[in-house]
Amino acid sequence: MTAALLTLADSRLPAGGHTHSGGVEQAIAAGVVSDPGSLAAFLRRRLNTSGAVAAGLAAAACDAAGDAVRLAHLDDEADARTPSPALRRASRQQGRGLLRVGRRAWPAAAWDALPAFPHHPIVLGVAAAAGGLGVRDAAQVAAYLSISGPATAAQRLLAMDPLTVAAVTARLAPDVDDVAARALTAALPAATDPLLDLLAEVHAARKDRFFAS
Amino acid sequence: MKTFVEVVARPGPGGRTVLPVVRASGQLAVRRTGPTSVHLVATAFGPLGGDDAEVSLVVEEGATLTVRSVAAAIALPSRGEVLPSAQRITASVGGTLDLGLEPTVVAACAHHLAELTVELGAAGALTATEQVLLGRTGEEPGRWTGTVRVARDGRPLLHTTVGLGPCQAAWLPPVAPRAYASTVHIGNHETNDVLTGEDAVRLPLPGGWVATAWGTDLHRVVRAAAALIPGAPVRVPA
Amino acid sequence: MPPDHDLDDYVDPYSPGHRHGGPLRVGLGGPVGSGKTALAAALCRTLGAEYDLAVVTNDIYTTEDADFLRRNAVLPDDRIEAVQTGCCPHTAIRDDITANLDAVELLESRHPGLELVLVESGGDNLTASFSYGLIDVQVFVIDVAGGDKVPRKGGPGVTAADLLVVNKTDLAPMVGADLDVMRRDSAAVRGGKPTLLISLREDPTAASVAQWVREQARARGLQTA
Repeated sequence: MTAALLTLADSRLPAGGHTHSGGVEQAIAAGVVSDPGSLAAFLRRRLNTSGAVAAGLAAAACDAAGDAVRLAHLDDEADARTPSPALRRASRQQGRGLLRVGRRAWPAAAWDALPAFPHHPIVLGVAAAAGGLGVRDAAQVAAYLSISGPATAAQRLLAMDPLTVAAVTARLAPDVDDVAARALTAALPAATDPLLDLLAEVHAARKDRFFAS
Repeated sequence: MKTFVEVVARPGPGGRTVLPVVRASGQLAVRRTGPTSVHLVATAFGPLGGDDAEVSLVVEEGATLTVRSVAAAIALPSRGEVLPSAQRITASVGGTLDLGLEPTVVAACAHHLAELTVELGAAGALTATEQVLLGRTGEEPGRWTGTVRVARDGRPLLHTTVGLGPCQAAWLPPVAPRAYASTVHIGNHETNDVLTGEDAVRLPLPGGWVATAWGTDLHRVVRAAAALIPGAPVRVPA
Repeated sequence: MPPDHDLDDYVDPYSPGHRHGGPLRVGLGGPVGSGKTALAAALCRTLGAEYDLAVVTNDIYTTEDADFLRRNAVLPDDRIEAVQTGCCPHTAIRDDITANLDAVELLESRHPGLELVLVESGGDNLTASFSYGLIDVQVFVIDVAGGDKVPRKGGPGVTAADLLVVNKTDLAPMVGADLDVMRRDSAAVRGGKPTLLISLREDPTAASVAQWVREQARARGLQTA
């Protein structure tokens, strides 16, 4: 690991993450998330489904950095694992944001091998490679980001005690490690949660929302 | 126990389909029930934990195949060592495949793996329906892990794994459904529309869609999923 | 710092002034209700015939501001982009400008001849200011109804904006605000940068602000159509 991992996982990295709630905004509206306990359940759910998929894709993309053919193939795999148009949009939007700042932060030829409007985990993998990180780091940061942003969103929307939310996130660390480790051993994970698909689509159709997703 | 099923559908004279290969061994038998249809028939209780069924379907370009089963399958736990039962369906589809088995009921303490892997040719069309109920009446829910991968000419169109039941990723209170139904269609039914209902959602795919519903009662869930099918007469009550 | 490293290794050869050859980007910030959207609408009406222009809105919760501009047919739909700011309008214009950059780039790609983009912030407080990574110049809008002490209290919006606009001067007698005090205090805290006192009710064209925008455009080599 190098300190580049800390930069990549930093919620203050200006990559647009703060405008996405990872489904939390709609989960709150649907009554699925209302307190720290239900937030922890939601985050575990997200971590073990879309977080696991992101971790697998990020690790694979890190390994494939610079290889346009493999990266395009991985982007197709990301699409196949993200049938919800709203979630695809959110992923590509965040990919674009990370690509913008990543290119500036870690100039490398590897960026040019990315397909147009790549999914966020694919960019994350290439960013990890450009920053001198390995596949394990890429999986780790993808898994971590799958819960850190949504946790902050819940804190803002429900005016939760930030210390409580920080504790929830911190205590999920072993789960994050576990998801990242499993993403490296198995074939590309494909875990999905139909509930997240539904929440994302209902959210996208709303006019009154704070978050882009 | 190992079970094998193999069916090949091939275009015959006059635009008809012939089924040159229809064979099975182990816990499933396969019966021709129409010119283009076969039914799977269980010849034993189960599957039990540790049982493994492989179903290979080939539908050549210009041919049509419909696959059904005669009764719900009840996945039961193994005695002693805890092992999942598995059903792996692999299909190579140049023509049209309609796959709709009766529900899988996963008994308490059982874990059933269902895999569907479909490779579509340029003209290939697929409709595949899955129905799952966790636990028999009055029983704790079992675990079900279902993976669907559909690719066309090597390019993946859909690849998802849904885990239901205790300790599974997408199964945490307050949304821990016992019943689940999903239909994926890829063919000539292009629709870009998303449709959402109460615990039900339809998402567009290239040339088709995937409709999923979940809840406590399988009949209601199956109706909710059916209501999402394009052209369905009823919509899911909001 | 490792001895063989030059400071240039850490810094891009970059400054906001020649960040892009694209449109002039003007930030419109200020507290809720001060008249940002009304000013944006006025500028669209007054400058729409002179420049190829578009607007990005940063509504906090709804697309109300974007809808206002659409409803009033100030601009066609495809020239208005609304961004969601994740409960943090301030972050979206200053700390992580990604969503706004996306919106500006989308408008630029849709309208290759774009000359002027107004980026309207969500209503925030007196500390809100735009990052110069997002905009070229910024206007901070306050109103007399907020009290004539606002300029003296300062804050980055009031002191550092390239233009301070004090709106709703027609209300001054009703709220007991002394416009001379506001003018004097603004001058004192703004180090020579301009302040304009306007009433959009009395002058719906926002002529003086529009003129200031024209000057900014001219300084960047943009000619009026």
